[in-house]
Amino acid sequence: MEELILKLKNEIIEVLNLEDIKPEDIDENAPLFGEGLALDSIDALELIVLMEKNYGIKIKDPNEGKDIFKSVAVMAEYISKNRTK
Amino acid sequence: MSLVKHYVRINQLVGSRSLTASGVRNYRVTIDGKTLVETAPADTLLTELYKTHVGDYSKFYKMDPLCRVGFMASELLLTAEDCRQKQWGESRGVVLFNATSSLADDRNYQATIDDSETAFPSPSLFVYTLPNVLTGEIAIRNHYYGETNFVVLPEFDSNTMSAIIEMTFCDKYLQSLVTGWVDCYDETNYNVLMFIVERDVTGHSTELSQEIKILTEK
Repeated sequence: MEELILKLKNEIIEVLNLEDIKPEDIDENAPLFGEGLALDSIDALELIVLMEKNYGIKIKDPNEGKDIFKSVAVMAEYISKNRTK
Repeated sequence: MSLVKHYVRINQLVGSRSLTASGVRNYRVTIDGKTLVETAPADTLLTELYKTHVGDYSKFYKMDPLCRVGFMASELLLTAEDCRQKQWGESRGVVLFNATSSLADDRNYQATIDDSETAFPSPSLFVYTLPNVLTGEIAIRNHYYGETNFVVLPEFDSNTMSAIIEMTFCDKYLQSLVTGWVDCYDETNYNVLMFIVERDVTGHSTELSQEIKILTEK
């Protein structure tokens, strides 16, 4: 799981252009939205694309996304259970 | 009397019109005629300017190339004006011009949808596929509620720009404009002349056009 969390942090930094942030700066248990990285709605769409492109997971219900994107740790847990690639 | 109150130029050095040996163009940054950066490579210039002169607006990193260069020019310009605390509201607008529209981002977005088999359209690139996102970025950052407009011209044309600037002041609430030319072909190829004009340009678009021409030659 730790390996997946690190991979996910690097992917998030890349797709969201978080140029000044390093993987170790991201607390995997901190909220992604509202506080923590303070991501916005466009970032949420990018995370949905990331899930499908890199892990074959399609998120169709926006309410489902709210739960999945609570934190990097929660995302990693969901990916490990549902990934198709 | 000068109609242009303050101005910023970010332009390619004459001696570096073609790519340097390292493949990077060099740029100069001037504010009101004074050199801020004598020479810097295009690929790092904007990020370095951001870190040195702004530093607390992380949205910068999410902007497309056009918005990055236009945003940084506006930050330098408004710092030179030294009225950042003023509540401008409807009294200030943003009207910008270029010839390449949002081409830099359009090209990057196109790359995400070129192959229908593997297409994953990028939402964050898509939102910048209009040049007037830049006028919005500047207005949002500075709480300007006046007219915002981005005009795409066939080429740099100070007469047309001056006429549109003068026409914008038909809005009776408008007292000043952040305006000028912000052209961006890609991440390393851009050209900016951004300036502030006030309501007294009304009836003087010919003189303003001459001033703009002179500034481009400096």
